[in-house]
Amino acid sequence: MTVDQLPSRTDRFAAGRARATGARRSRASMTARRHRAFYLFTSPWIIGFLLLTVTPMAYALWLSFTTFDGISPNWKYVGLGNYRELLNDPVTWDSLGRAGLFAVTSVPLSILAGLGLAVLVNRPLKARGLFRTLLYLPAVVPPVGAGLAFKLLFDQNSGASNGVLTFFGIDAVPWLADPYARYVLLMTVLWAAGNVMIISLAGLQDVPKELHEAARIDGASSWRTFRSITVPLLSPVLLFQTVTGMIASVQTIMPLLLAPLGDTSGITTVPQSNYLYMMHVFAQYFALGRYGYASALLWVLFVLILVVTGLIFKFTSGAVFYNVDPEAKKK
Amino acid sequence: MHTDATRAGVPLGRRRFLALSAGGAIAGAAALSGCAMQVSSGVSGSGETVTVMVNSGDILPEQVQQAQKALGIKIALVKYDITKLIAMLTSGSPPDLVRGVGAVDLPFFAARDVAENLDPYFARSSVLKLDDLDPVNDLWRYDGRTQGKGPRYGMAKDFSQDSMYWYNTAAFDKGGLDYPSETEPVTYEEWLDDAKRLVQRKSGQTTVFGGSFNGLTRATLLATMTASAGGSLFSDDFSRVDFTTPEARKALTWYVDYAKTKVGPSLIQPDPNGWDGPTYQAGRMAMSNSGYWMGGMIYPDKKLAQVSRLAPAPLFAGGRRISACQGGTGLWMPRGAKNKDAAWRVFEWFFGEEPAKARASGGWGIPSLKSLRSLMPAQEDYQKRVLRVQEEELKHFSVVSFTPYSRADAIDALFNQIAPAAMNGQISVDTLAGRLNSAINEQLKRGKEQVG
Repeated sequence: MTVDQLPSRTDRFAAGRARATGARRSRASMTARRHRAFYLFTSPWIIGFLLLTVTPMAYALWLSFTTFDGISPNWKYVGLGNYRELLNDPVTWDSLGRAGLFAVTSVPLSILAGLGLAVLVNRPLKARGLFRTLLYLPAVVPPVGAGLAFKLLFDQNSGASNGVLTFFGIDAVPWLADPYARYVLLMTVLWAAGNVMIISLAGLQDVPKELHEAARIDGASSWRTFRSITVPLLSPVLLFQTVTGMIASVQTIMPLLLAPLGDTSGITTVPQSNYLYMMHVFAQYFALGRYGYASALLWVLFVLILVVTGLIFKFTSGAVFYNVDPEAKKK
Repeated sequence: MHTDATRAGVPLGRRRFLALSAGGAIAGAAALSGCAMQVSSGVSGSGETVTVMVNSGDILPEQVQQAQKALGIKIALVKYDITKLIAMLTSGSPPDLVRGVGAVDLPFFAARDVAENLDPYFARSSVLKLDDLDPVNDLWRYDGRTQGKGPRYGMAKDFSQDSMYWYNTAAFDKGGLDYPSETEPVTYEEWLDDAKRLVQRKSGQTTVFGGSFNGLTRATLLATMTASAGGSLFSDDFSRVDFTTPEARKALTWYVDYAKTKVGPSLIQPDPNGWDGPTYQAGRMAMSNSGYWMGGMIYPDKKLAQVSRLAPAPLFAGGRRISACQGGTGLWMPRGAKNKDAAWRVFEWFFGEEPAKARASGGWGIPSLKSLRSLMPAQEDYQKRVLRVQEEELKHFSVVSFTPYSRADAIDALFNQIAPAAMNGQISVDTLAGRLNSAINEQLKRGKEQVG
C-alpha cells in the first residue's frame, strides 16, 4: 500500500461518520422495533379501553347533562341540572351514606375473615388442600346463584334458617326485611371471603420463613410474630384488598339479588337498610328511565371512588411495607 | 426532515399511537354499530328472518321450527328486556316484533312514536279480521290521547280479567267458610275478612296464605280498584294521579290494610316464588288474585284442578261492578322494524294460527279472537264450571286507561319505595297518598315534557 493509497483524514472521518450513522440507525431501528412490538402487544387493550371504557364514560358524561330517557323524542340539554338535583336529593345522600357504612363494615370484616382463614389453611394441617378448596368454593359461585340461594335460605316462611329457629321453639325472623336485611347482606360478603383468603394465602407464603425462625429464637410469641413480621410483610396485599374491596363494595348489586321482586320495578323493593347507592342508580336508570340523572349519579360515584382511593393511599403510605431490595432498585 | 417522521423505522410516538388507537376504536364502534344494524335487514316475503323479542315460553322452539316450515320465515328469538329494547330502538335496529303489555305499554310507546300503525295490515289480512277481534284488543289502540280509540298498534295474544280470583275449596272447607258465589262478587272487605280467617300461622311463619291480591302491577291494580270505587286515579289528560280523592283513598286504604294484616304476599311479606302459581299449587295459598289464565297451570294437575274454582272480581261496597283486564299481553311492531311484511306474516301466524289455537286450548287465557273461544278447555266438570264463571264475568269487562307519560314499572318502583312505611304502620294512609302524589306526579311531569 502506497502513501497515496492510504485513506486521507477526510476519508477516515467520513468512514467513521458513516459507521456512527449506521450504528445510530441500527439503534434507532432496534428502538423502533421495540416500540412497535410494545404498542402492538398493548394495542388490543388500549383499543378495548378506548372503545369499551373511555367511550361509554364520555357518553355517560354527555348524558349526565341531558334529560335523555332512552326513547322519548324531546329530551334536552340541562347543563349541570342533574348534578344540582342530586345535591338536593335526600335519597342520594342517604343511599351514599349507607354504601359508605357498608364499605367500612364489610371490607374490614371480609379482610379479617379472609386473613384468618388464610392463616388457618397455611398451617400444616391434614387435608389442607381440601380445606382450601372448600373455603374458596363459595367465591366461584356466580353472585346471581348466591343471591338466590340466600333468598331461599332466609325466607321468613319457608327458609331453612327459620326452620332451625322454629325447631328450637324460637319465633321466625323476617331476615330479608328491615332491620335484619343488612345482616344477611353482610353474610353474603363473608360467605365469599374465600377470595380474600386466596390472595392473603399467596401473601403469607411469600413471607420468608427465616424471619419467623429468628423471631422464635428471640423468644417472640406467635401473636407478636404475626403482628410484627407477618402483618407488615402482608401490608401491600392488605392495601390492595382494601382498595379493591372498597371499590367493589360500593358497587355491589347483591341487595338487588336479595330483593323480593325480580322485575324492573323490584329494584325499589330492596329494604331501606340495603338500599345502597348503586340501588338508587339502578332504579333511576332502569325503573324510572332517567338515563341523564343516573349517569350524573355514576359520575359522582366515580369521582368519589378516585378521591377515597387517593386518600387511602395517602394515609397508608407510611404503614405499608414494600419488601423491595434497595440495591436492586438502584440498578 | 419531515420525511424522516414518516419513515417506517421511526418509533411510533405515544401521541401517534393513541391517535391511531382512538381511530381504531372509532372504526370499531362504527363497525359494531354497523353489525347491529344488520339485524333483521332485508326485504319482505318468505325466506326472511324476523327478530321477535319475547319472554321464554311465549314462542316455543318447536313453534319456531313450525313457523319456518309453514311460513318459510326464520324467527330469531331475543329475550325480552326493556333495557335491551330501548338500546335497540335508540340504535335504529329494533326487533321486528316485541312483547308488550297492552294495558300499560302501548300508550307509552305509541306516544313516543316508536310503534307502527297496524291498521293497513289489519285491513288487508285474511287471518285477523276486524270483526273477529275481541274488544280486549282495544287496549292496543291509541289515538294520541286516549287508550282504546284510534289506530291499532298491536294485539293481545290472550287475556284475563285480572281482578278475578281462584280459590282452593279444601282451604275453605278447613276454615269452615262458605265458598264465594260464582255469580255475585264479594266486596273487597269481605274478601279480606275471608283471607284473615283462612290464613294459617305458626311460630311467626305463615304456613298458608289466606289470599294474595296484588294485581298485575301495583299501578294497574290501584287504577282498577279506584275505578271500581267509582273514581279515576288519573286526571282526564293522564298527566297527574291523585290518591287523595275519596275513591283512590279507599282503594289505597284497602291495599295498605291487606299488606298490614299479612294475610298474603306483599311488599313487606314477599313470596320467594315471585308469583302466586307455585305457592297456590303447593296448597299454601287459599285465594289467588289471578285471572282465568292461571287455569293453564292448574288444569294439568288434576288433583289441584278438582279443588280450584274461579270467582268474580270483588267490588267495593256501594261501588260499581267492573272487571278490567290489567294486561292484554301481546306483540307490537316497532316503527323502525326492518322487515315489516314478513313480521306481519309472523304476527298473523302467532295470533290467528297454530300458536293461538294451542294457547286457547291450553287454558292460558281467553283467546283474543272470538272465533277461537270454542277451543277453550271444557272437557272436565271443573273446566266447565270455570268457563261458566268466566263467560258471566265477560259481561262486566272494562278497560281502565293508563297514562302514556310513564311506564307502569316506574310508577310501581315509586310505589314500592314509598308504600312499605304505611304498610308497616310508620305513616298514615293520608301521608302515603300525599307522598305518592308528589313522587308519581313528578315522574309524569317529566314524561309529559319529553313526549311534548
